[in-house]
Amino acid sequence: MTTADRPERPQYRVIGTRAKRTEGPGKVTGTTVYTADVQLPRMLHAKMVLSPHAHARIVRIEGASALAVPGVSRVVTAADLSEAIRDGSNPAVNPSNRGDALIAHTEVVFAGQPVAVVLGESLAAAEEGAAALLVEYEPLPAVLDIEAAMRADSPLARRPAGAVDRSEESAHVTIDVHAEESGSAPTNISSHVSFSRGDIATGFAESEVVYEHTWRSATLHQGYIEPQATVADFQPATGELVVWTTTQGQFHERDTIMKTLKWPETKLRVIGPELGGGFGGKMAQSSPLVSALAVIAKRPVKLVYSRKDDLLAGRPATGALVKIKTGMKRDGTLMALEASVAYDSGAYPGAPAATGALLMSSFYRWPHLKVDGYEVLTNHVSAGAIRAPGVHNVMQAVEQNIDEMARQAGLDAAEVRLRNAVRTGDPMSSGKEFPAIGLVETVERAQSHPLWQHRDEVRAASTSTKKRGVGLAIGGWLGGLQPAAAELFLNSDGTVNGVTGALDISGTNTSFAQIVAEEMNLPLEKVSITTGDTRTAPFAGMSAGSKTLFTMGKALRDAAIDLRQQMYEVAAERLEANPDDLEVDGGEVRVKGVPTKNISYERLAAITTGFGALYKPLVGRGTVTARVQAPGFTAQIAEVEVDTETGFVEVKNYASVQDVGFAINPMSVEGQLEGGSVQGMGIGLWEEYIYDDSGRLRNAGLLDYRMPTAADVPDIDSTLVEVPSEDGPYGARGVGEPSITAGGAALANAIADAIGARVPMMPATPERILRAMGKLGGSEAAGG
Amino acid sequence: MQALKYARAASVDDAIRLLRDGGEAARVLAGGTDLIVQARERRREVHLLVDIKRLAETMVLAYHAPTPPDAPPGFYIYPGLEVGAAVPLYRVYGDPDVQRHYRALVEASHVIGGTAIQGRATLGGNLANASPAADSIPAMMALGGVARVVGAGGTREIPVAEFCTGPGRSALQPTEFIVSLYFPPPASRSGSAWERFIPRNEMDIAVVNAAAYLAFEGDTVSEARLALGAVAPTPLALPDVAAALVGRPLDDAAIDRASAAASAAARPISDMRGTEAQRRRLVGVLVGRVLRKAAARARGEEVPA
Repeated sequence: MTTADRPERPQYRVIGTRAKRTEGPGKVTGTTVYTADVQLPRMLHAKMVLSPHAHARIVRIEGASALAVPGVSRVVTAADLSEAIRDGSNPAVNPSNRGDALIAHTEVVFAGQPVAVVLGESLAAAEEGAAALLVEYEPLPAVLDIEAAMRADSPLARRPAGAVDRSEESAHVTIDVHAEESGSAPTNISSHVSFSRGDIATGFAESEVVYEHTWRSATLHQGYIEPQATVADFQPATGELVVWTTTQGQFHERDTIMKTLKWPETKLRVIGPELGGGFGGKMAQSSPLVSALAVIAKRPVKLVYSRKDDLLAGRPATGALVKIKTGMKRDGTLMALEASVAYDSGAYPGAPAATGALLMSSFYRWPHLKVDGYEVLTNHVSAGAIRAPGVHNVMQAVEQNIDEMARQAGLDAAEVRLRNAVRTGDPMSSGKEFPAIGLVETVERAQSHPLWQHRDEVRAASTSTKKRGVGLAIGGWLGGLQPAAAELFLNSDGTVNGVTGALDISGTNTSFAQIVAEEMNLPLEKVSITTGDTRTAPFAGMSAGSKTLFTMGKALRDAAIDLRQQMYEVAAERLEANPDDLEVDGGEVRVKGVPTKNISYERLAAITTGFGALYKPLVGRGTVTARVQAPGFTAQIAEVEVDTETGFVEVKNYASVQDVGFAINPMSVEGQLEGGSVQGMGIGLWEEYIYDDSGRLRNAGLLDYRMPTAADVPDIDSTLVEVPSEDGPYGARGVGEPSITAGGAALANAIADAIGARVPMMPATPERILRAMGKLGGSEAAGG
Repeated sequence: MQALKYARAASVDDAIRLLRDGGEAARVLAGGTDLIVQARERRREVHLLVDIKRLAETMVLAYHAPTPPDAPPGFYIYPGLEVGAAVPLYRVYGDPDVQRHYRALVEASHVIGGTAIQGRATLGGNLANASPAADSIPAMMALGGVARVVGAGGTREIPVAEFCTGPGRSALQPTEFIVSLYFPPPASRSGSAWERFIPRNEMDIAVVNAAAYLAFEGDTVSEARLALGAVAPTPLALPDVAAALVGRPLDDAAIDRASAAASAAARPISDMRGTEAQRRRLVGVLVGRVLRKAAARARGEEVPA
């Protein structure tokens, strides 16, 4: 790790240091309790029965065969759901959103959609029952191709329904422009957004290098290792519903259950245990269904997805079709961008059409641009979010076009990016101005990186069958915004405990503790942050959208300042000093310049809590709302070796440069850069939903849905650029999402550099590489 | 999940009796790395598992060199490698004699599953499972492997090259199971090699795999065996392609001819792991690579896996 461009800033003691993650030992030693570990007395186990058809009418569900299995207690179908809804309604009847389609009602709209749930006294019984359940279908025409689905005469993937709930999509990014919902005549295009600037015809007329291409990218799984899981405990006597679920946002789960079941939040408690990975996929996927099952069964119910369930019935990240034409002057000045991105949203809305169109067109200073984003419904499993949803699909296109134009003009591709990169105050394609950003600084660091500087030598090391190449690409993410609140308590031993409602992803509780320790002038081990639940913690947004530390970190800083101020007020009275003359050091409140005039944190705790104590308890509170985004940019460099006989790609070296604003915990931040880079490699080279001709997923397991293994990934050289954000704590930016956005494109450019051909579909599998090189006849594997 | 009964065989005869009494749904359990998964996913109906891991005959791992010319009169030991059907892979590829004489077997068994799987999985199980894409079977074919099989009808030997009859189907009759695998000793100037193609470096099922054994007299190929995996309903021995290599030097032209012939002999299908065209191409590439590698080893060169 190298830290570049670190500006002058105050001397910090705890933040900015490589703190070991507080939740790490439990995870490493296997003692962490995850949702699947929760066991309750009288608990039933649930197994979903999934549709094998992409589009079909449910003719009949015959429960008797399942109920005949010993230990099976009930078969729940969509018709039963109204038993669980307070007002007796049934959300699954013609739902507009995936969230309401708990179980398919009369019609299945994707292969993998749950059509029934079998409850059993044991998981084995439930599985046996699910295997025995008889479901009769009448297949309907399925819409499986994005382009075909967009045509006006295409059959509809699904009956048109009412208003669309976009709360999950907006959890990730805050953008001002929202897509228009489709008009009166029903089509499969469920939303469409456009941005334009200048005059596109003029732009191309003035361009000297023009490149036009169509790029495709596959549907992906988020790749969280802990599968979807929920345990719901319903107490009929009190009406209490307590839900343990693997989630990035407990309050989002609570609100979703509240809306779906019409359940009062005074009778609802959502507990998010330690999270085994989310990446945008842990957002109320299973908790409403399992809550309903518990209410119906009047017993605790546990549902843990199998890996197959998770791939078939999860909410994967969208595949996309991008048509793009770009123009440039021979000196490297970008002139025109004309593009469309169509996301395969699957059977329900949820694709990031607005985000994709905006980000595709906002990272360079295009004088003329026209972009369209489409959300297209098909009979594939409906999509959800992923780390930076929709961005890798469009960066694949933009960054390959830039690369190809630079090559044609004989220019350094990094130089072209640098010349045209957006700066602070530049407009996005929506017209909104960029706040303080560090794209230029990021590209500069990448340009001077040895991996980029030595690219000619790398290429020269090629042999006749092993071709080497180096590729560069940028990416970025605007960052989400959401209010946050935190509380801090002074303990009897002079330490500080804190509670937030934010789930710890990627070590955020450790970074929170660093912030509090910094402000309280305590060593890190004297601060502990706990994730409370929806009954015990103040509000927290989702741990998503690269905003967890960006927003909650500020709330904790404010809470620490509040706690400190309360301590000053009590201490001022005891020390007969002015509160403004006090400081904290060494676990004491002291009079500045007179260290002997002090009162310890322990003493302050005692006189604010003891029997007959004179002073109020010390409770620091921080509540914030963030209004200015802190976009984060990345530039990534990949070196590959392509076996031109087999198409096999070996990633030899990899560098990731990112503007992180300020790294509260550089070790965690590097982990984010590395993790995002590895996911980028998966996107670029291996990961893909492979469907057959009838829309069935053929690789519903981690053997054939290929995520990178440790053996596939080289050391990743991370460089942290620190251009402070305006509104983040200590200048920090959200760091989680930018890191995934550039990898696919960087690898694609490296492969093109190596073999002299472009692979039009991501991932660049060995077969597609051979085909791009003209070494294979015949057509691609089915569904590929 | 099916409810299963489990019995540990006390002897080979006991195992045969248990299998006979258990009928169709009684299965032999060695490492269980395929069988347990298949039973759990209901891909195989299994009611009784007969564990053969505690038998001396199934746990043997022994190599005997050919009887030296200067051996005392009457001295004779049956030469070659005997691998019990329940010997876990880590012992096979970790054995110094296997490493010295049967490199293709080392290469193939080293990539089946991860370390934990290799502590359980066996060559006998990999063969009995009869997957068209099995990693070890082409290596065993190239090394001239023979399965020693027992059953209610007695004992017999089945060449590995004739063992598989279809996807998941084998020449084993009811009550029969593999006790051990036998491999003849390699010729003095010989070498073997195995390769597979997968899109990643680990954790995958072969798109294509290939194995070769070559022996030389002078510059001339005196013996050759070639086999492929994942390109036909069974692992595929290529006796004709191999025979064409014998009696002449292994030059580039001979290798190219063998690659082309192997590519033509393959009968691949298109599935999610690869198309027919890709597989045919890979057969040609891999056959060339294993022939070159086996030849280099025969020359005494150290060629890494």
